[in-house]
Amino acid sequence: MNTHKILFNSNVVIQRFSHSGNFVNPLKSPTPSFPTTCQKYQPISASAPPAATTARHHFHTYSSSSHMAAPTSDDDRISRITSAIRVIPDFPKPGILFQDITTLLLDPVAFKDTIDLFVERYKDKDISVVAGVEARGFIFGPPIALAIGAKFVPMRKPNKLPGPVISEEYSLEYGKDKIEMHVGAVEAGDRALVIDDLIATGGTLCAAINLLERVGAHVVECACVIELPELKGRDRLGDKPLFVLVS
Amino acid sequence: MSTGDNPDTTGRIKSALRVIPNFPKPGIMFQDITTLLLDPKAFKDTIDLFVERYKHEHISVIAGIEARGFIFGPPIALAIGAKFVPLRKPKKLPGEVISEKYILEYGSDCLEMHVGAVESGDRALIVDDLIATGGTLCAAMNLLERAGAEVVECACVIEVPELKDLIDYLQFD
Repeated sequence: MNTHKILFNSNVVIQRFSHSGNFVNPLKSPTPSFPTTCQKYQPISASAPPAATTARHHFHTYSSSSHMAAPTSDDDRISRITSAIRVIPDFPKPGILFQDITTLLLDPVAFKDTIDLFVERYKDKDISVVAGVEARGFIFGPPIALAIGAKFVPMRKPNKLPGPVISEEYSLEYGKDKIEMHVGAVEAGDRALVIDDLIATGGTLCAAINLLERVGAHVVECACVIELPELKGRDRLGDKPLFVLVS
Repeated sequence: MSTGDNPDTTGRIKSALRVIPNFPKPGIMFQDITTLLLDPKAFKDTIDLFVERYKHEHISVIAGIEARGFIFGPPIALAIGAKFVPLRKPKKLPGEVISEKYILEYGSDCLEMHVGAVESGDRALIVDDLIATGGTLCAAMNLLERAGAEVVECACVIEVPELKDLIDYLQFD
């Protein structure tokens, strides 16, 4: 049997390839700030009183210790996170207001606050696996998993994961889609969190929950940065709790 | 002593990787990092190795290549206080983008980045799980340089075997 060495090189330095042809002239100096020509998203409840629904809290703790700088209140953190998200109209198609989290990722304080808010919520809940839905769930899931010492399991579109997988089909507005998870990644008895950047109709999250439950995991909660409440994803999750930062 | 000096650390990371033969097509030995992500200590050590290397390099932006670069890039960015910029396949990023085409074995593909995400003078790191031919990483470097950033380094968990070894393998049998 032919075997391959896997080279792990902790000092990977890539030789700069010189490009002939295909080199494009640099753009003129880009605008200093990230363009926000589209209407800012107006949050419904960024500073509203706590909602009555389960598992959705709005913290109002504030330390007033005079011995050290007061930690940023949760409301301030949520406010900063909300402002960092931008809305792109008519993407991916006309009529859709797309909630773009990439601007959040350009604000290291707001991005860190996002992760911290999730970590604070889950660190004492004995979560053993964080499942992140491709692709934006891959951005938020791993930092949470690392902070709480849990496994990270990617849930992917078909044919991306190598080796044996299990699949779950789900309905779209028109047609169907599928997500996959590796066989053996999650075990019976694992306590799982499902992470994605946003919940809309809840179809993808439901498929993710099903995959985890099929292998015997207990889905403790779904967590998203953004909820679009008018699409009623929360209802579609049924008895599975949902926690979001912005809705 | 930094994490990188400890052979147990890198040994554990290496053992956590797995190879899947004949994926995505016959003859390819696919290096799978998902098993690394199932070992919290090895995953943390992986991130720590990169963070230790870059934390004093004044890196202002980490660009991660879709999709597995999204797993390793953000934890590094968070630890060193840098922006994270996703580099994506076409039509995934909303709003204004710049594109860079690159050549595949058969045909070509394209990588996109948001206009304005990276600024002139940004010091950038590009992160992906693996480097094979380097085509995708080159496209990524071009995107960042076109936006005026300085690409300080590219960082990957895995470098696939030398091209020469690959050719030997493919000729075996």
